[in-house]
Amino acid sequence: MSTDFLYPFIDATESDPAALLADLAASAQSKAAESVALREASLKEAAPLIHSAAAEMARRFAAGGRLFCFGNGGSSTDAANLVELFARPPAGRRLPAWSLTADQAVLTALGNDVGFDLVFARQLIARAQSGDIAIAMSTSGNSPDLVAGLREARQRGLYTIGFAGYDGGAFAESPDVDTCLVVRSQSVHRIQESQALLGYQLWATVQAHEALQ
Amino acid sequence: MTATTPLPAQPELTAELAADLAGASLALAQRFSAGATMWCLAPAFTPHAQHIAVEFVHPVVVGKRALPAVALTGPDLVDQVRMSARSGDIVIAVARADDPDVGAVMRRAPAWGVTSIWIGNGPRPAPGAADHVLWVDDPDPRMPATGHFVLLYHLLWELTHVCFEHPGLLTAPSECTDEVCITCSDEGRLAEVLTVADGSAVVRTARGTETVDTLMTGDVADGDLVLVHAGMAIGRVPDEFDEGTEGPR
Repeated sequence: MSTDFLYPFIDATESDPAALLADLAASAQSKAAESVALREASLKEAAPLIHSAAAEMARRFAAGGRLFCFGNGGSSTDAANLVELFARPPAGRRLPAWSLTADQAVLTALGNDVGFDLVFARQLIARAQSGDIAIAMSTSGNSPDLVAGLREARQRGLYTIGFAGYDGGAFAESPDVDTCLVVRSQSVHRIQESQALLGYQLWATVQAHEALQ
Repeated sequence: MTATTPLPAQPELTAELAADLAGASLALAQRFSAGATMWCLAPAFTPHAQHIAVEFVHPVVVGKRALPAVALTGPDLVDQVRMSARSGDIVIAVARADDPDVGAVMRRAPAWGVTSIWIGNGPRPAPGAADHVLWVDDPDPRMPATGHFVLLYHLLWELTHVCFEHPGLLTAPSECTDEVCITCSDEGRLAEVLTVADGSAVVRTARGTETVDTLMTGDVADGDLVLVHAGMAIGRVPDEFDEGTEGPR
């Protein structure tokens, strides 16, 4: 009797993909269900924070404030997608928003000359004004460049929002973070999927706020 | 936009889409094992292309192997893929079905010998438009911004790495499994015209470049898609979006 089915990872002679494909499909459905459940739970938990953060953002936008978003790696792309939503929404009002990872000349100049931990803080020193808004997207909530960016932003009078996963990391305890939105999961992938939805809901709530009508 | 605007649906992953993801993941693992690079496109949502690339190049799970993936962004996307992709590579796009650049890349993929994956929502691309179509039918234009596409390519990465644990399945099956073998019979292979001479043309196919006789098709131009058989161009393949943006320049 073959016991290969018990140890597929050592089976170099496996030749029929049907069993693997069935496992993969089942795994995809189970992970997707987990992702949807986490998105719903995260949205529910974050609803009051999103409501208050969106109100402050709307007031700032209405008074001429602008939004700067930043993150590392995959989170930098999620931050860039959030910027797209604010600046070029499928419907609603366009609002001034930029990603601080968009310019590789600035990013590499700062990374090379002053160190990577300051790539966002130094851009905010140059560009940000009191009345603006800063959003840092992270899964750990601990990245030194994001922590430094939020500190600089807060000192300059920006309203600061941190997205984090796990237990919120340093963002959750930081006096430099006005609002910390935490997705309570241990999976970087599931955290990012939920953060996208929280970002969407933040945008939609800003759009709906009376200060921008 | 009002406060009552409902959230976009958080779609369930249908059994059909789960099966499509499984098939695409096995194909990815097979192609990567054979040395492929994956070229990532998302003309209307550039960050998605970059997220896919960073996911594969720098995995979030320690110990998973880094895989060659590159986001292509900016202008002249079709030219960029044409120049970048080699036979055996992969192209993955996040785009609506009517995206002209992605449509042009997908139509050319067989001529370049490239395995194609297309992620999107709303009206579907035509059947066979890509090797693997990972599609959500809900046309909500907000879907690219609410995490569902991120889920789809995260799953693609996760399942691809599961496939690496099955070394026996990482060799792509030979095309010659049937009594009639398309490759061996040289039946209508797709080719892209590179340069034209009197009565012949140099074309690019999955096997490389070759010179074919163009007597049957008449005049062809750079960038045209033709079917070749036994050294002859035997017919043109119409281009759905014929906007003059797709030929080599």
